[in-house]
Amino acid sequence: MTTAKNVTAASPARRELSMPPRWTLLLRRREILVTAVIVIVVAASTAAHPYFWASGNLAFIFADSVVITFLALGESFVMIGRGIDLSVGAIMGLSAIVVGFRIQNDGLPLLPAVLLGAAVGIVLGLGNALLVGVVRLPPIIATLGTLSVYSGLEFVVTNGNQVDTIPSSITNLGSDTVLPGIPVILLLTLPFVLVSAWVLRYTTFGRSVYAVGDDAEAAYRAGIAVQRVLFLTYVISGLFAGLGGVAFLIYTSGASSTTGINDNLTAIAAAIIGGTALTGGVGGALGALVGSVFLTVTLTALSFVHVSDVWQPAGVGVLVLLAVLYDSRSRAGGTRRRAKRQRQGGPR
Amino acid sequence: MADHAGRAEPAVRREPGLRSVVGADYETRGVTKAFGDVTVLRDVTVHFYRGEIHSLIGENGAGKSTLVKVLAGMLPADQGELVLDGQRLPALTPRDAQRHGIYLVPQEPRLMPDLSVAENLYLGALPTWRLGTVSWRRMIDTTEELITSVGLRADPRLPAGRLSLAQQQLLECARALSHGCGTIFFDEPTSPLTARDAERLFELMWQMRDQGLTLGFISHRLDEIEAVSDRITVLRDGDVVARAERGTWTRENLVTAMIGRKLTITRRAERTAGPGAVMVDVEDLVSPPEVNGMSLRIRAGEIVGLAGLVGSGRTEFAETMFGIRHPASGTVTVNGRNITGASPRKCIDAGLIYLAEDRGRNGIFADVDIARNATSAIVGRLPKVAGSFVRPWKEQELAQLAALEMDVRASSIAAAMKTLSGGNQQKALLARWMLAKPRVAIFDEPTRGVDIGAKESIYSIIESLVASGLAALVISSELEELVRMCDRVYSVYEGRVTGELAGDAVTLEALGQLAVGA
Repeated sequence: MTTAKNVTAASPARRELSMPPRWTLLLRRREILVTAVIVIVVAASTAAHPYFWASGNLAFIFADSVVITFLALGESFVMIGRGIDLSVGAIMGLSAIVVGFRIQNDGLPLLPAVLLGAAVGIVLGLGNALLVGVVRLPPIIATLGTLSVYSGLEFVVTNGNQVDTIPSSITNLGSDTVLPGIPVILLLTLPFVLVSAWVLRYTTFGRSVYAVGDDAEAAYRAGIAVQRVLFLTYVISGLFAGLGGVAFLIYTSGASSTTGINDNLTAIAAAIIGGTALTGGVGGALGALVGSVFLTVTLTALSFVHVSDVWQPAGVGVLVLLAVLYDSRSRAGGTRRRAKRQRQGGPR
Repeated sequence: MADHAGRAEPAVRREPGLRSVVGADYETRGVTKAFGDVTVLRDVTVHFYRGEIHSLIGENGAGKSTLVKVLAGMLPADQGELVLDGQRLPALTPRDAQRHGIYLVPQEPRLMPDLSVAENLYLGALPTWRLGTVSWRRMIDTTEELITSVGLRADPRLPAGRLSLAQQQLLECARALSHGCGTIFFDEPTSPLTARDAERLFELMWQMRDQGLTLGFISHRLDEIEAVSDRITVLRDGDVVARAERGTWTRENLVTAMIGRKLTITRRAERTAGPGAVMVDVEDLVSPPEVNGMSLRIRAGEIVGLAGLVGSGRTEFAETMFGIRHPASGTVTVNGRNITGASPRKCIDAGLIYLAEDRGRNGIFADVDIARNATSAIVGRLPKVAGSFVRPWKEQELAQLAALEMDVRASSIAAAMKTLSGGNQQKALLARWMLAKPRVAIFDEPTRGVDIGAKESIYSIIESLVASGLAALVISSELEELVRMCDRVYSVYEGRVTGELAGDAVTLEALGQLAVGA
């Protein structure tokens, strides 16, 4: 055990171990990095095609990213806790369908619609929460199961119909802009992002999510109710997916039995790109927003340079791989993280 | 969320640091604990007094770690009770234990590496404002004070993973204090530390003791035990076999109590044939940080032992030989072939096998049947149809023969590995490795978690293999085992060979002296 490592370890109690200055840390934050990349992509696309900068197009891009932002927000809670929720797209779809039919058939106003969407999301999220937090299934298996169940339910609930007549009083929120390029729906989304960021950073629950994700056993030893924290993250994920369903209705003014089918992985992708690690303990709510905007901007930019839409899913995949690769390269103390992965296993 | 915020008490924080915390009188009464059919603690009664450092000593498997885990609520006791300041405690979780002021500092600090030092200190009871909002500023300010009081100087915002092991241990101590815990158990805290860091920890422990804290301490190093303890309890095979207060013990007493005077130590069998050609030649093998220049030779028909403390680098040395770890320098020659840095696959083909220490994690495929567990190291050499398709019946037959030879007792060869007892699992693993027809075998703790009957049969299996020309390296923390089996023993300390005993010089006393660093 006498090694270079330990020789340096012998002295440190005397040497001050300090952090680099704040501004350098800020620059290293993933949200800042991704934002910078977004600016570069926008600038390059505008140079290639001036219409890209038109306010209508920017508004479209931002509005387009809102649904994924909601999904990625919920997914961030789960992933920071070292879980994964594969069913967010299906929950979003079901919520859109259920709420959509109520609006279409019963003329449900906006505010009750939002509450209904949230309720649907919470109920479906509770399903995941029970399976993971109480039954203690591995999250990937539990949510793969509920993904099938929930997407199957989409067909049951639609029963061959679809939602296609949403009153313009509601859909206008998706197309109106306040300032040029800033859609109303984005402003409606921001409070959710900010509240999430606050919860994650400044509440005991939020800090517990990081602790559980970083090392569940250590968190258990520190007196954190690990299973209860995990339970809540899946409920929150469901809640945001339910809200995402309402956002989907506002933005697309319709919903069908296949709504959300491609969004499960896109949401995870957005969270990863925004800096949330699959290995837990790292990430944040702002990252979810930035990651979603980045994905939308980049994919739109691709279509501007005449890359066909069919390449989109592959494009998302490549971006995620790049983000994960960047993560594994840039993260300091790689050995310690490896150690952490080896001794995962959670509390008794 | 409401649940966390609702616990108002920790939000009102006392002055942080040593002074605000007191220890308790804490005792076990008749605690018994078994894992499966192995009893690890038998009717253990130990009393930890305020203002004392009370050490638990004993060989590996004596039950020291299990006892402190029971004390700290990590494991439930099967029988017996825990009594704190005269009050009987109900079943404990770690959380309850901390609420009662009881904390366990583990051998390997268990921190959340990506979270800040401050959060690692306070998690479970973060300082909050009235609305349940975490107060970062207050947390960072008090952290600074608290960690300084245990001699740790680091930025509270630093991720805890950046601290050295010694610093992480200090942080664990600070965490105990921050949770108001005055009854602290240390499970071999010094084994990963350098002597200097250990000394610093002792100073902190003395300071804590003088403040009236209750401290429990485990270590394998007798000189440490003698230096720090006010009271010593010796455990052997789950029983309390001796108690002593400061000034009433001698080194000899302690060693005798630990090892026990077993009247019948079976002597190793006389080998009929003398050792043959050199089968293993390791020259100055280095794989930092654990292996720091190991050299040894083993001849055919010889059993060579490695004695040393847990953490002395023996397992890491074996893993480096077997290609699981990458060697930085040095050479490994097996049967005349240089296999330095070769993958396990190539090592197996060269005739070297490694029976891993942690059977559950690195040995068995728990859900798979015995047959395929046995053939898993030689899948490439199984009889095949058309050169590529395994013939399941042949595979079973082969496994059956090997299992029979190794005396594996199971309902059938198709039984899942996890249904077997520890001893039978180990024999099935021996069957796996013998199917690979090795010339050289490393047995790492071959009888860990194995009952006595199976132990003897494992010894005789190894001996018969060696009699037919195998070169064996046995790593064991049980000195009796080394005395029982080995022709020669190397002692290992901090990744280096520090001594060698051969033939009749291999005795319990000699090994005992070597192993505790005397």
